[in-house]
Amino acid sequence: MSAGEQMSDRHDCGGDAAAYALGALEPGEAEVFREHLRECAVCRDELQAFTAVARELPLAARQYRAPAGLRRRLLAQVREERAATAAGRAGRTARRPARGLLAAAGSLAVAAAAVVVLELSSGLGPTVFPAQLRGVGGSAQVRVTHGRAELVVRHLSALGRNQVYEVWLQSGTAAPRPASVLFGVGPSGDAQVGIPGEIGHVSAVLVTREPLGGTSVPTAAPVIVARLDKADD
Amino acid sequence: MFGNRRSLRELADDDLMARVREGDARAFEVLFDRHGGPAFSLAFRMCGSRARAEDVVQEAFLSLWRAGGRYDPSRGSVRSWVLSTVHNRAIDSFRRQSARPAGSLEESGAAERLAAAELTEVEVERRSEADQLRQALAKLPDEQRKVIELAYFGGFTHQQIAAMLELPEGTVKGRMRLGLGKLRVTLTEVGVVP
Ligand SMILES: [Zn+2]
Repeated sequence: MSAGEQMSDRHDCGGDAAAYALGALEPGEAEVFREHLRECAVCRDELQAFTAVARELPLAARQYRAPAGLRRRLLAQVREERAATAAGRAGRTARRPARGLLAAAGSLAVAAAAVVVLELSSGLGPTVFPAQLRGVGGSAQVRVTHGRAELVVRHLSALGRNQVYEVWLQSGTAAPRPASVLFGVGPSGDAQVGIPGEIGHVSAVLVTREPLGGTSVPTAAPVIVARLDKADD
Repeated sequence: MFGNRRSLRELADDDLMARVREGDARAFEVLFDRHGGPAFSLAFRMCGSRARAEDVVQEAFLSLWRAGGRYDPSRGSVRSWVLSTVHNRAIDSFRRQSARPAGSLEESGAAERLAAAELTEVEVERRSEADQLRQALAKLPDEQRKVIELAYFGGFTHQQIAAMLELPEGTVKGRMRLGLGKLRVTLTEVGVVP
């Protein structure tokens, strides 16, 4: 039996939308349901309605102010990363577009991976790692410059409703871990995202399509795979 | 110019996000002041521990700071983006730790009451919004409310819930659907949901 037949046989139409909106489907089921959504307007409508309700559920928690200590620590870290970004930007060659966010997104690598920066700073220009794409068209590459990595995609397929691209980092054979980067693509299908975190021990950068808000473990096969152990130039 | 904090505070979330995209730490601060409370409250409800809740919120907001440019207003409000990030981070932290805190299951858990003693409850406005939600949930039959709470705040899958409550698998999904359907009706009546 093919996966497609299994899906239409097994899928009780409308039965999964509520569980999906609550994040309560098993990962495999969630994938089947997302596939089903592509061709089922009934489930799409139902999911939209349930998602609107689920989105309000956080307010059912007793409401507190954020603790002052948390605010202090968070803002201190942000300012630190901001300073690191400014320093990094000043030291970089000028040809890149002044997209502050990219710098901000990439700045974690500066903050978190000073050692890597030193190790890699001898090279000139970015090292480019081409990616393989599956089922999303377009092209993608990871560029590493002075220890900072960014993922550049061109002409990627648009996402389904309630979906987002999520970036994962894999080291050796370990399970991919979230890079804490979600992105969408505009009408052009282009995007350029900084990859925070230490890239030195990362052997592959993966991207999956995930429900809006992202997930903590990949729920689908990667659509982009960039191996960092073989460079293009 | 929006050089000072007061004028930043007058900006809409989307405009603040645009500034965060440019690396504006003060715009980020304003966003935190706007959404940090609800974010912390959600994390606290899920984690049942103040320390873990703070970690989760810090991680979530840092990822917003670093990836702020990926925010797409057509996909929902900044607040729902923040809250869904917090929600995901909390579930992530559950999976990293084998033991699940009792506080994530019952809001009235002793651990949470203890930890909450030193926290400041919020101004009346947000509390009354929260009351509306809680009342809507309270109207549900216990069995429906329970599966919704276990899924959303506890981060359990329907199979885990079925095992926990010793229910046949399809029953949990059915209760979720009925429960969310009723919530939707109630919340539409009071204008919380369009
Ligand atoms: Zn359907």
